[in-house]
Amino acid sequence: MIRFDKESRKKALRSLFEPVADKLGYKFHPDSGDVDFLLGAEADLESELGMPYCPCQARTKNREENMKIVCPCIPFHREHYDAMKRCWCGLFVHKDVEDASRLKQIPPDKFRRKG
Amino acid sequence: MKKVKIYALSTCLWCKRTKKFFEERKIPFEAVEYDKVGEAEQERIMDEIRKKGGSGSFPFVCVGDKTAQGYDPEEFERMLDCEKK
Repeated sequence: MIRFDKESRKKALRSLFEPVADKLGYKFHPDSGDVDFLLGAEADLESELGMPYCPCQARTKNREENMKIVCPCIPFHREHYDAMKRCWCGLFVHKDVEDASRLKQIPPDKFRRKG
Repeated sequence: MKKVKIYALSTCLWCKRTKKFFEERKIPFEAVEYDKVGEAEQERIMDEIRKKGGSGSFPFVCVGDKTAQGYDPEEFERMLDCEKK
């Protein structure tokens, strides 16, 4: 267990993620409450497990698979997230999104059928 | 009313909203907290989810034999309507 001051770590994660997401064509979700909750959950996961894993995806015993859900996990799920215009947990939305409230989670097995 | 089962992570915003959806409609459900159990139980739960067509993206919701992955109130309503018929 790594002990961080949670609020400081949330700010640090935000600063770390922002330029990465920007280069990937994404921005933080405009709902600051949701962003605050999700960054807090990631700060807790990082403190407990050493990595800011996606708070809405399951970790298993497979380390290689787990690394694909370390935030920002957009590069590992590019097609899926581009189809939803958001990442699975909703921390990030695509830069061209104007009304993020309308974006839905599309199950991984369903978005392929839409393509 | 068919049994409602919600597979969730304690850290997941959309799992919380999914539970709230069913709570607001006073629909009882069983919550399975994947990240609150040991590794062996997690493997068993993940097998159960995969057999029902899901994966590691939460929430995963079952209403009787109907399933939905992700927070989708419209889909939840459809699943509940199907169960009423």
